[in-house]
Amino acid sequence: MRIVVIAFANFREILGKERQLQAIEGATVGELLKELAASSQAFREAAFDDTGALRDYVLLMINRKRIDPSQELSRQLQDGDELAIFPPLAGG
Amino acid sequence: MIEITDGEISLPEMIERARSRDAGAVVTFLGTVRDDGIVALDVEAFHDAALSELEAIEKEAVSRFGLRAVEVIHRTGTLAVGESIVAIVCSAGHRDEAFSGCRYIIEELKKRAPLWKKERGERGERWVGLGGAK
Repeated sequence: MRIVVIAFANFREILGKERQLQAIEGATVGELLKELAASSQAFREAAFDDTGALRDYVLLMINRKRIDPSQELSRQLQDGDELAIFPPLAGG
Repeated sequence: MIEITDGEISLPEMIERARSRDAGAVVTFLGTVRDDGIVALDVEAFHDAALSELEAIEKEAVSRFGLRAVEVIHRTGTLAVGESIVAIVCSAGHRDEAFSGCRYIIEELKKRAPLWKKERGERGERWVGLGGAK
């Protein structure tokens, strides 16, 4: 299945603004993030701590809706989903 | 009008749009680039998601405070010290509602709208809010 990953701020600098990934059916948010980490050391260091846990400051949206990374990394993605990755908000 | 733009903000035009015969108060908030030893500020938006969030905040503010009109413009791109980042204009029948509505909108914008700022200084650059993270 095809997943669109979009990134902002420091994560955009690492991953680029948008990329399309082919993921296996049933892949979870956490698995997709691990796959990105495996392909980019800079992303791994920015998004994961030394124990392999997602850093607290990493924020996620699926199809423009915020998800809770502490609860929903096991959520299965659907074909065509858009996963947005970004740091804490700092508008205004 | 709710807008995210790389163009300039015209506060007088926003005020004119917010005026009405039944509004006795028009409150404005203008967020500007503070000189914290920086050279410039880069502002980035998740444009469509930020616009949706600002529209939701606007609806909440109108409902909670009985605002007559709301104008919000947030800029993106590279801004110099002193330039405007965000402008909010709220009109209401009376000043209490206009002040409260304006305050509500800027506080909710900061918490909820997917926007980011990067400070560029002579010694380097940093994303605001990241602390020691990369």
